[in-house]
Amino acid sequence: MPSEAYIYDAVRTPRGRGKSSGALYTTRPIDLLTQALVGLRGRTGIDRADDVVIGCVTQTGEQGGCLARFAALQSGLDVDSPGVMVNRFCASGLDAVNHAAVMVASGHFDTVIAGGVESMSRVEMGSDGGAIWDARTQWAVGSVPQGVSADLLATLHGVSRAEVDAFAIESHRRACDAQANGYFGKGLIPVRDESGLVVLDRDETPRADTTMEALAKLKPSFEVMGRQFGLDTLVRRAYPNVERIDHIHHAGNSSGIVDGAAAVLIASRAAGDALGLRPRARIRSMAVVGDEPFVMLTGPLPATRKALKKAGMGPHDIDHYEVNEAFAVVPIVFQRTFDIDPARINPIGGAIALGHPLGATGAMLVSVALDNLERTGGATALLTLCVGGGMGIATILERV
Amino acid sequence: MATGFEVSREGSLATITIQLPGKVNKINAEFGRGLADAWAQTAGATGVLVVSGHKDFCVGADLDMIHAQTDPAAVLELVRSLDQLLRMIETSGVPVACVLAGSALGGGFELALACHHRVVVDDPRVTLGLPEINLGVIPGAGGTQRLPRVIGIQAALDLLLQGKLVRGNKAVAAGLAHQSARTAEDAVLLAKAWLEQAKPRSDAAKQPWDRSGYVWPGISPQGADARNTFMAASAMIYKKTAGAFPAAEAMLSVVQEGSRLAFDGAVDVEARAFARLATSGQAKDMMRTFWYHRTAAERHEGLPPAPRDAGIRKVAVLGAGMMGAGLAGICAQAGYEVVLRDVAAPALEAGMAHVVKGIGERLKHKSPEERSVVISRVKASSDIADLDGTDLVIEAVFENAELKHRVIREVEARLGPSAIFASNTSALPITGLAEASVRPEQFIGLHFFSPVEQMPLLEIIRGAKTSEQTIARCLAFTRAIQKLPILVNDGYGFFTTRVFSAYILEGAQCVAEGWDPVLVDWAARVAGMVVPPLQVFDEVTLRLGDHALSQAEAYRPGIAGLPGAQLVKALVGAGRIGRAHGAGFYEYVDGRRGGIWSGVAALCAPRVSTPAPVEQVRMLGERLLLAQVAETLRAWDEGIVTRPQDADVGAVFGIGFAPNTGGPLAYVDRRGAAEVLDRLQSLAAGHGARFAPAPGFVKFVEAGRRFYA
Repeated sequence: MPSEAYIYDAVRTPRGRGKSSGALYTTRPIDLLTQALVGLRGRTGIDRADDVVIGCVTQTGEQGGCLARFAALQSGLDVDSPGVMVNRFCASGLDAVNHAAVMVASGHFDTVIAGGVESMSRVEMGSDGGAIWDARTQWAVGSVPQGVSADLLATLHGVSRAEVDAFAIESHRRACDAQANGYFGKGLIPVRDESGLVVLDRDETPRADTTMEALAKLKPSFEVMGRQFGLDTLVRRAYPNVERIDHIHHAGNSSGIVDGAAAVLIASRAAGDALGLRPRARIRSMAVVGDEPFVMLTGPLPATRKALKKAGMGPHDIDHYEVNEAFAVVPIVFQRTFDIDPARINPIGGAIALGHPLGATGAMLVSVALDNLERTGGATALLTLCVGGGMGIATILERV
Repeated sequence: MATGFEVSREGSLATITIQLPGKVNKINAEFGRGLADAWAQTAGATGVLVVSGHKDFCVGADLDMIHAQTDPAAVLELVRSLDQLLRMIETSGVPVACVLAGSALGGGFELALACHHRVVVDDPRVTLGLPEINLGVIPGAGGTQRLPRVIGIQAALDLLLQGKLVRGNKAVAAGLAHQSARTAEDAVLLAKAWLEQAKPRSDAAKQPWDRSGYVWPGISPQGADARNTFMAASAMIYKKTAGAFPAAEAMLSVVQEGSRLAFDGAVDVEARAFARLATSGQAKDMMRTFWYHRTAAERHEGLPPAPRDAGIRKVAVLGAGMMGAGLAGICAQAGYEVVLRDVAAPALEAGMAHVVKGIGERLKHKSPEERSVVISRVKASSDIADLDGTDLVIEAVFENAELKHRVIREVEARLGPSAIFASNTSALPITGLAEASVRPEQFIGLHFFSPVEQMPLLEIIRGAKTSEQTIARCLAFTRAIQKLPILVNDGYGFFTTRVFSAYILEGAQCVAEGWDPVLVDWAARVAGMVVPPLQVFDEVTLRLGDHALSQAEAYRPGIAGLPGAQLVKALVGAGRIGRAHGAGFYEYVDGRRGGIWSGVAALCAPRVSTPAPVEQVRMLGERLLLAQVAETLRAWDEGIVTRPQDADVGAVFGIGFAPNTGGPLAYVDRRGAAEVLDRLQSLAAGHGARFAPAPGFVKFVEAGRRFYA
């Protein structure tokens, strides 16, 4: 490999509740991304990039039209900083990081900013359409809404409602604990309005008051869709022996719908030296995979195996895991499969408590994981997300 | 001008009268040219009226034109030329109205949809709609695109996916017609009045979707509502079809895709899907069975001619269970005087309640007086004297030869010399039962299917001594009660019960061998079977199944000893009697079916774990179909069924044999007889003689024959 890719810094906005009542609802998606870029510039002094690679899932409306270029210009980066958008569903943010790393590692690019943005309160999930919504595609490749997939995964692995609910409570407990102790310190960039007034400076959704009793009252979100509309039966094309799916996921044990953005500076050692910067980490390995699309959410397992193999590491060589909590069952199955100490997975909370701003999440996790590794003195982190269409992504970071 | 199209003028209006040679208007290869010529003749008119010279407007495509065609390119050309013609007419700027004084179906209704204004006669005998799905295809002349644009996506999918027809008196409310009239003459007047005021090139002379600012009725094809509707419909289709009917999938897909396109492109998407489906083996087989063979059976083709007056006025039904009561109801509806007899008063009471409820539902469009006239034709009685003067007795008592013999003797003593005695036994040989009869030539098997009100088939069994006259009189009765007859020869289980028993026994057998019961039932559905075998077993009750298997042992030595039969016996022994008793292969909670009973596995061989479940489903599905095919071939070889179409019609309409195959013999043809023989021989080697190919079938394969041309 001609060069190695280093992470020089990583920042993120706080995550606001993705509704019209959420704190970030009145902030345009381009402004969320701009503020992340401005934050990164402020911390690194960078004033131009060879490219700006941004992940975003719902690239339509306010998020359409190659937002990366306009946010780059708006953030004050030099006019010679281009921009490109990436969409691999929920992997988009981490994919942007991986893309940037590969660009740098290839030697063709020296300094690349990666990142992600998603304003779920303003641009409705799914509003970009796509062949995934065509019955013809669904028949051809097999696809059901993710919630049904989550419940299928739980059924296949015998994960109970009590387990997913308990997991959700722990996610909130860890996130609240992290907030109280300032673990989300330096990478968190407050979102401000045009006067510079703070709109939001902390993640909006973690709740200290969540209880098993409260969660037990929530109705499974996908039961009606699955049973009455027959989506559960559709799954039998690939899982004919699943006579019945246990619907256990609900809003309380699934990732929250939120708004947010993140930015990561990736550069070669030579380019970093020229800027007078010290790298925080290097990207040790990465992987994207495809897995069975009906159950959809198992991608982190083969992606993690692939990334670990490339790095020549084993599951226990990783100090900090970020396994995106799209649904509680995903990290639960991940933990069981690799037999990892649960304390190492999402140690300061995950998307159930903090929210999952689709295309931004992967890039946000870089900042979260690096801040935490530095705080705890750990060396390695593995970030992984399940992805629509049955894909998965994983990236291994190592502090330098 | 081609025959069948006549153009007349009245002032500035032109009328095209379609009256093809024969009794009905059908869209055949010449139809397009005839219509195009007629249209050319209307040049200069300020409005065009399209009417039929026959009773019906147009009953759709002439299937001969499509059934014979195996080249998708030729089919595409055919439908495109019709599409272009209809499009030319609807975009010509001249207002076009049609009068639907009779039914407009399939292509006939698509022609009506291409008119700007439809006036229907307000009569329930007039039916409108697009039933193509029932033949394994989709509409091919723009129907999947015009209908959603006329009545909205959801309403259109509801009609298209079920091939549902709408009656003339409901057509305006359903949005299929603009106006209705009491008579054909009034309808013509309304249509002409509309044409008089509709100005050429105005919006009235354009289809809604060709006007600027067109807004879809109901949900818009873009956006979350449409996404959710199509997703739900996609899942619903799978839930109903288990993937065995590609036409349903194509229907949904062309509506979804077409709804986002400009009209001409939308119609082309439909045309391409139609060309693929219409040339598929499945569509050919479904057309043959569901159209050609069904129509032939309806017309009693090849059967003894039914007398005009069969001398049947009074019918007695013995046994007031669900079957007996159901039969009494449909006989009364056909105008017969009916005695419903049972020895048990509570059964009679329940039976009569069933009659009243059934007639209430089926004749809900009639007045209470008319309904009560029909109900009053049924007399529930336990008094044997009430059977005096009966012309036709149908016994539906318990399946026990001795009991039936006793009933035959007792009842026949009351009957006049011309009376017919029919047994509704589902398996016992008619010749044997007739031994108790003093007039075996007037003894016959009339095997109905449950629920008798809905099941169209009647299997007529000719006993060794049954006379041709008795058969002919029963065929007249069959016609009166509107059942679809197949005439078969006698033997244990005749035709349908043999095949049905082979099916459900094979289901139990697979389970006993250790295959996952969940996969067994699912495999049957994926293969196309209407109802899965273990569910059916629970419905008919395992106790009855066990009884039938013991009874069958006398005719099929060894059958009761099969592990599958032993499993059924063991389940009955464990108190798992059937759905009505809340416990069978499945669990039932408050009458609702739950999962497979967890205790089943303990009664079976160790669970089969390989290959992968999806592959197991394929293997099991094939096995469940081939078990029935093997039995069908034996029945054919033994002369129980003599014509292939009787086997296919009987299996499909009687016992829900996979409609996607067209029937067990159509299955043999499509798969190739040689391959079927090979599979049967290897299954026989692995699973036993019930799969052994009939000797006649081996010769059939050697001779390189097919069942259908």
